[in-house]
Amino acid sequence: MFGLLEDAGFQRVKSAVVPGFRFRQQSTQNSAEAYGVKAVMMTAEKPAED
Amino acid sequence: MDSADNQAALEAVLKDEIIRMYEEVAEHPEGEFHFFHGRDAAERFGYDAEWLDEAPAGAVASFAGVGNPHERSNLQTGETVLDLGSGAGLDAIVAARFVGPMGRVIGVDLNPSMCIKAQAHAAATGTTMECHEGRMEEIPLPDSTADVVISNGVINLSFRKRKVVEEMFRVLKPGGRISITDIVSAKQLSQSIVNDPKLWAA
Repeated sequence: MFGLLEDAGFQRVKSAVVPGFRFRQQSTQNSAEAYGVKAVMMTAEKPAED
Repeated sequence: MDSADNQAALEAVLKDEIIRMYEEVAEHPEGEFHFFHGRDAAERFGYDAEWLDEAPAGAVASFAGVGNPHERSNLQTGETVLDLGSGAGLDAIVAARFVGPMGRVIGVDLNPSMCIKAQAHAAATGTTMECHEGRMEEIPLPDSTADVVISNGVINLSFRKRKVVEEMFRVLKPGGRISITDIVSAKQLSQSIVNDPKLWAA
């Protein structure tokens, strides 16, 4: 996602993991962890026109 | 059937599954889902109690986000905000608090009945929200419409994330910004998950 934002032209792309996110069911959470699934917050800016 | 046809067919099935799942959350928020939802989830992600107390109970109970896009959105009075995947409207209602009556809040959702629900919830708080039925891959808005795009846990549902990102860029005004929360995966999901609309939508 980070790369997609930069490819589209966004600048100052920043991301941070969302603390506290987890799936309700432990089995789903275990599968998610196996795939490195996490919730992230992303901010970015569209450049201003010259 | 070629791969483009296969993807289109899978997207159509996924659309139906997404609509079904989020309608289920909205209509039966007491149900058990893969994800935390409602007030518990919103509080977990740091939504102010005041925001939740002042929003209609239905909007709060149907909340199915994965974080708090308002934490870093820095919304200002008078700005135009687009909530991509606005659902039952909680994030749009919170955004309306920040941009005030001189601002503009626009929702886009795949499900027209969810748009109606979100607008009713916004009206109950004394705010106005536009809501357009549409796909995030083809946002039904002109270029350079929004100062800010917020989104909470929906972009991951798209098979065409690059297109979604390009669309967010298109509808933002120059100098505009995004503040989104979403699910990402460090590893490629297995084909069995990708091809299963129920798992993908979850």
